[in-house]
Amino acid sequence: MPSTHHQIPADAPALTFAMPASPPTVGDAKILLPLSVARNAVIDVRALLVHPMDTGFFRDASGNPIPAYFVNAVTVMYGGEQVARFEWTSGISRDPFVRFPLRASREAPVQVVWKDNKGGVYQQSVDLKFA
Amino acid sequence: MAAPRMAGNRGPDDEMIDAVRQLLKAKFGDRKIQYGHVQFDIPTDAPDGRAVPAIMDIDLPITPDSYVSAYYLMVDHNPDICLGTYHLTAASGEGPIETRIKMRRTSYVRAIAEMNTGELWSAAVKVFVGLNGCG
Repeated sequence: MPSTHHQIPADAPALTFAMPASPPTVGDAKILLPLSVARNAVIDVRALLVHPMDTGFFRDASGNPIPAYFVNAVTVMYGGEQVARFEWTSGISRDPFVRFPLRASREAPVQVVWKDNKGGVYQQSVDLKFA
Repeated sequence: MAAPRMAGNRGPDDEMIDAVRQLLKAKFGDRKIQYGHVQFDIPTDAPDGRAVPAIMDIDLPITPDSYVSAYYLMVDHNPDICLGTYHLTAASGEGPIETRIKMRRTSYVRAIAEMNTGELWSAAVKVFVGLNGCG
């Protein structure tokens, strides 16, 4: 008996999954804003960084200790003004993610800067636009 | 508000270890840390201690004159007890802070909100951890 359920239309595009062209490297960062932002609304900003966040307590396969390597300072700039600052230790998970509130008072870029204990500085910014 | 109690009349204050007491003393001095007003959303069972999601929020009205200036996230039995400090400003507005933390073993997790007026509000949740995430 032919099923009428779950039939894929003949003209449907093929299902493809976008794989990254290269594996993520330390320092790749993303900032996600809501799709539509109203003036003076408080929005959730999501920021994700690719970073190993090694605690210094683990050892690799050959028994050598993996040195501590983690993000310890994050600053959030909104239109050139610092609106938030986070102090982290290696107790934050690998590929650190943070969601924080921000009052969208004007159209300005939102910039997040991550600094790690080996001197690495990573930054990402997006333009906040009202829609 | 009294400290939340678990079965056997043991709560987060009874199980507080000396390292946590000393850290709180060093950070906040003799200021009183009260329980309440902090909405702390964290799973009580974390099979994988490498990534435990934690969401901190406060149910007090947030105004330009009264806002959360910092959230402190502490895990009693971690090597670094205060593993995250989130400084906010009046420009931040009202909303949750979400992050993912590592946990070494079963212990209390404390979220402390410091208001710009100097009040300290906190919440503590005991999280049962399966896999050690700290090494």
